[in-house]
Amino acid sequence: MLTSILASGLAAGAIYALVGVTYNTMFSTSRVMSFTAGQLAMLGGVLGSMFTLKLGLPIIVGFVLTLAACAIVGIITEFVAVRPVLKSLDQHLYVLSTLALALMIQQVAAIKWGTEPQPFPRVIGLGSGVWDEKFWLPVVACAVTIVGLEYLYRRTLVGRAFVAIAEDNFAARALGLPERNLRIASYALAGVIGGIAGFSGGQLLLAFFANGALLNFYGFVPVALGGLGNNRGAIVGGLALGLFQQAANFLVGGIFSSVAVFTLFIVVLLAAPQGLFGGTTARRV
Amino acid sequence: MAISRRNVLLGSAGALGAASFSFPKPAIAQSEPIKIGCLAAITGPSSAPTVGFNRGINFAVENLNAAGGVKGRKIELVMRDTQGDPTKAVNATQELISQAKVHAIWGPFNSGEALATTPIMGRAKIPDIHPCVVESLIDTKKYPNAFRMAPSNSQWDDAVRNYCLNVLKVKKVAVIGDTTGYGVTAVGASVAAFKKDGADVVYQANIDATQPDMTPDMLRAKNVGSEAIVVWSVTTGMEARMFNTRAAMGWDVPFVGHPSLASGELAGLVEKPENWKKVYAIGYKSCSYDASGKLPPKSEELVARLAKANVSLNDTLLWWVAGGIDAIELIAKAVAESGSTESAGIVKYWNTLSKYPGYFGTYTFTPTQHNGYPTEEIVMSEASTAKNGTFALAPGYT
Repeated sequence: MLTSILASGLAAGAIYALVGVTYNTMFSTSRVMSFTAGQLAMLGGVLGSMFTLKLGLPIIVGFVLTLAACAIVGIITEFVAVRPVLKSLDQHLYVLSTLALALMIQQVAAIKWGTEPQPFPRVIGLGSGVWDEKFWLPVVACAVTIVGLEYLYRRTLVGRAFVAIAEDNFAARALGLPERNLRIASYALAGVIGGIAGFSGGQLLLAFFANGALLNFYGFVPVALGGLGNNRGAIVGGLALGLFQQAANFLVGGIFSSVAVFTLFIVVLLAAPQGLFGGTTARRV
Repeated sequence: MAISRRNVLLGSAGALGAASFSFPKPAIAQSEPIKIGCLAAITGPSSAPTVGFNRGINFAVENLNAAGGVKGRKIELVMRDTQGDPTKAVNATQELISQAKVHAIWGPFNSGEALATTPIMGRAKIPDIHPCVVESLIDTKKYPNAFRMAPSNSQWDDAVRNYCLNVLKVKKVAVIGDTTGYGVTAVGASVAAFKKDGADVVYQANIDATQPDMTPDMLRAKNVGSEAIVVWSVTTGMEARMFNTRAAMGWDVPFVGHPSLASGELAGLVEKPENWKKVYAIGYKSCSYDASGKLPPKSEELVARLAKANVSLNDTLLWWVAGGIDAIELIAKAVAESGSTESAGIVKYWNTLSKYPGYFGTYTFTPTQHNGYPTEEIVMSEASTAKNGTFALAPGYT
């Protein structure tokens, strides 16, 4: 039982964590919580299955095309749902605009792809039982993504520019950084991370249009638990959520496991409203 | 000419006399087509049954019209696409009744739509025949014009329970459904009925259909000694995960339940084809083949006729096609026997039907019972044996 909890809990947790990182990547350059994050992950699964199983393309080609398509959807999000509401962030209009776009993505996926879950192919074909690749692949994908992001943010000029925009938008612009282009790039990057989450978790979650809403929800929890904009917090929060959820599935059963997850979520937020890893911010008075 | 008082009196008396005799009805009423309204989800996510039903109704209408119609009157289908949406179904129903002035309605095909449209048809007294499963759709007092020609939920439940207890002869069952309204209701009803029949329901659960791993529930069901798992869900993803988990656990417990256990999509979702064995889905005698691969004679004859008419069965279910044919023939027969397209006549005729031999089933209706499909014609099918819209009978039937 313990191995099963660990295997599926870490796998689901890694997917949630990646969706949390997707939220954070979009948030860092725009201060917008874009509720298209889960839909990007859903598209990772659906498009991955379409390119590899329906169109019969090699896995690697399907993977690259999936990430490219998700990056484009990320850019469309920036243009359609984020840019028009940036001037009135305090009115939180982005909640409406990004949710509306998320719904549109979901409906188009349902109409074009179908409302029944579809199979996702074996990616590498390694492992069985609790060592099946459907369990370890999301964890590996999560680890590789985090290492890649750390490298990007710490070792490359573009990455440092992202960090600068995230730290202080006005100061970064004063220094001559192309804020708008960097924001578009960060949304493309978020699309790629969401695509990786969906593609690596395709065997576990199947290619299913309804995964978008589920991942939107469970991907948001680690962001709130770990602190908004904090990738380290999202990873720890995501993995903890997956393990706790799977343990609750074993101990109290399906319906009550969701109740247990959200009870924990509320308790943590009551104890630490800024999230477990989030710093307290000074309020201008 | 002078008009006398006598002439006026005679003329008035003549006019009154003439008025008291009924004029013959215009011939147009006897030759106008019989209009059958169809509420079909032609597009949208729940359009699969419509594909089959429409093949059946078109086949029936073409045959009846080619044979001269019903007492010389042709049948005309008035098709409306509801997209599976209750709001669109309501609008289409009102339009069919008030604008198109149909004489009877076939459909809608899912219970969500039917819950919205049945009261409207009831108020307009339009004869309606449909295949929807929700119990409350049939109420001879509230909706004396509504007739069901397919099994209800409780009949499915009875058939599954009968198979588990009397054919598989198991005593300990696990009942699992999804967390939708349907799943929760169906599991509750099924558990109550199993307990009433003396079975031991050792495990009961409603699982979120998107839950990626079914091991927790399957393990719990195994640990309490379940001898069969009854499934009430329409979610193929969840069902496939349960089959795969059973195989990974090395457990050979049978799954018995909802027709979706035989959905063709499961072939791609199970990790190995053998994971889909020992799964028994609700099916129908008329559409199940025996060990020699033969359907019942009447169904064999229908399949041959359909093949001759180039009606394909390889991407649909025979019961949908056969049900569509039966619906049209039931309406045509009612018009022929009652002698008109009057609502009261059609309803009165249907209320007298006893063991009417359709292709899909043998229907019986009375003024107080509008569930026409016999429970004994519901059987279990081997879920993974689809062949031209039919399935092999599950083990235990002769």
